[in-house]
Amino acid sequence: MTATPPPLVVEGLTTSIRLDGRLHHVVRDISFEIRAEETLALVGESGCGKSMTALSVTGLLPPIASVTSGRILVEGVDMVAASEKTREDLRGDRIGMIFQEPMTSLNPVLPIGFQVGEALMRHHGLSKKAARERARELLELVRVPAAAERLDAYPHQFSGGMRQRVMIALALACRPSVLIADEPTTALDVTIQAQVLALVADLQKREGLAVLLITHNLGVVASVADRVMVMYGGDVVESAPVKAFFDRPTHPYSQALLAAMPRIEGDGQLKPIPGQVPPLTEMPSGCRFQSRCPLRQEICDRLPEMTPVGGDPEHKVRCWARSE
Amino acid sequence: MNATPLLDIRDLRKVFTTRKGWPIPKVTHVKALDGVSFTVGRGEVVGVVGESGCGKSTVARVALRLMEADGGSVGFDGADVLEASRLDMRGLRRRMQMVFQDPASSLDGRQRIVDALGEPLKVHGLADRSTVRDEVARLLDEVGLPRSALDRYPHEFSGGQRQRIGIARALALKPDLIFADEPVSALDVSVQAQILELLRRIRAEHNLAFVFISHDLGVVRFFCDRVVVMYLGRVVEVGPVPEIFVEPLHPYTRLLKISSPEPDPAVAVAMTFQDGEPPSPTAPPPGCHFHPRCPGATERCRTEKPELRTLGEARSVACHHPL
Repeated sequence: MTATPPPLVVEGLTTSIRLDGRLHHVVRDISFEIRAEETLALVGESGCGKSMTALSVTGLLPPIASVTSGRILVEGVDMVAASEKTREDLRGDRIGMIFQEPMTSLNPVLPIGFQVGEALMRHHGLSKKAARERARELLELVRVPAAAERLDAYPHQFSGGMRQRVMIALALACRPSVLIADEPTTALDVTIQAQVLALVADLQKREGLAVLLITHNLGVVASVADRVMVMYGGDVVESAPVKAFFDRPTHPYSQALLAAMPRIEGDGQLKPIPGQVPPLTEMPSGCRFQSRCPLRQEICDRLPEMTPVGGDPEHKVRCWARSE
Repeated sequence: MNATPLLDIRDLRKVFTTRKGWPIPKVTHVKALDGVSFTVGRGEVVGVVGESGCGKSTVARVALRLMEADGGSVGFDGADVLEASRLDMRGLRRRMQMVFQDPASSLDGRQRIVDALGEPLKVHGLADRSTVRDEVARLLDEVGLPRSALDRYPHEFSGGQRQRIGIARALALKPDLIFADEPVSALDVSVQAQILELLRRIRAEHNLAFVFISHDLGVVRFFCDRVVVMYLGRVVEVGPVPEIFVEPLHPYTRLLKISSPEPDPAVAVAMTFQDGEPPSPTAPPPGCHFHPRCPGATERCRTEKPELRTLGEARSVACHHPL
């Protein structure tokens, strides 16, 4: 690896929501970096803060939420400190985004070719004709069959899998260095999911993309991620290279999550996690998993630091019981 | 298996007709069910799997007569469901219940839980005004909800709790068979596991039979005894768990299995470019519907429809060249 900084660096990101005049942290002090060609997966269940992290990075947080501290460096430019104008210039150009439901991100009354080319006109000043030509190339790149004929088709004329391909073409139009993929295959059938994941992996190599993958599906993580960060209640509780994570899941929540997942291979047993995630307004102080944790002790009222485990500096866990 | 199955679906057919376009509407026909047959024994859990548009939800809706079939028959404990009179249907409905994916949309938002669950009890004469509260409380207890839930409204519950309410409602009339349509698909993994455990427990306690519709092979592996795999309105394979996943006979079952990501980097999903999507159900290909995506397709597959045939014990497959 050369000395060029990673395309995406996040340092001490905290994102908060104001509810009834009080500030609640939905993302607490999380840090990571993603190198070119690398995929980092953020996993966790509803409300764990994974999507809020993605929205913070893209600067698309809903009005009630805001980044309260930390830095987000995209190719060295701090998105948090930057003006809205700079953010707009970066978004869609240096950062591409794909979401769960392409139908809600695509404009139903505009033809596909125009939508894919629009970012090129906005960010790179391409003419309408040049943008259309590039849109055709992009649709071919994401393997939409008969791309030239489909430039004038509308989103509803595409299947779910094809729409997600169109979204990928759109996200990659300006050849970004960072791709944020928020549950990109959750709405797709498994055979189509496999195709889309393969396509993303292929394009990632070709374009040297740093990919931030947000997912609840540990199977998808095992298939495509290089590194994993497990989130619970806004905190990162475990961070590890993908192989180390599945070989030695260490945080009680990571272990419980894996044990609760039904598998095709295996003995057909599973262990539910008792209880549920506390509402944001009733989060315990300290470790937020303590209310459901089998290893709870008194000290858990204080938030533990991320600590390396098993002699692997890359594999860290936030747990008093698991700290050595 | 018993000599007479509890549910006996034979050659079930359903065609949807849509009119689209202006000024001259184009009529298209979709064969949602193209001769579907399978059985469910007493106390048996049969999974129905397949991708969007394969007809798996339509099976449940037609069998319960929430929509009328265009052919075939549905036998339930010896009775002919599709020919049953309104009066007979009332008795049959009590014994065949349904659990939906999203209980929020199947519960009346302005009805308290005690009323939502009490109504069917009163309609079917299983409780009266004096006993209904206790009866509903007993049902809630069975699905792990506190008595305090009685007077609350659906929006006050989380997704997992609402699914418990949906299950309690299905249990209220002491059915023999429950059709469950993607009952855990909308839930987070930790809650999903709780609901699956609950379903397993009530199944054992009441000797309940299930038709369990799901797209998630892992969930099916956990809960089901046998699996029916559907593709574009047809059954392509039937077999017991886990054999059907360990050694699939139909290439489509195999494709489903290798595409399903497992939480283990060693069995990472096969991301070979198996290009091609399920063809449109409005214009399914001739012969075997799966042939355009099948690596082993031959001339015969392109022209001749494979019939479902028995292969070995308890397994059947609709393929000219099974794996």
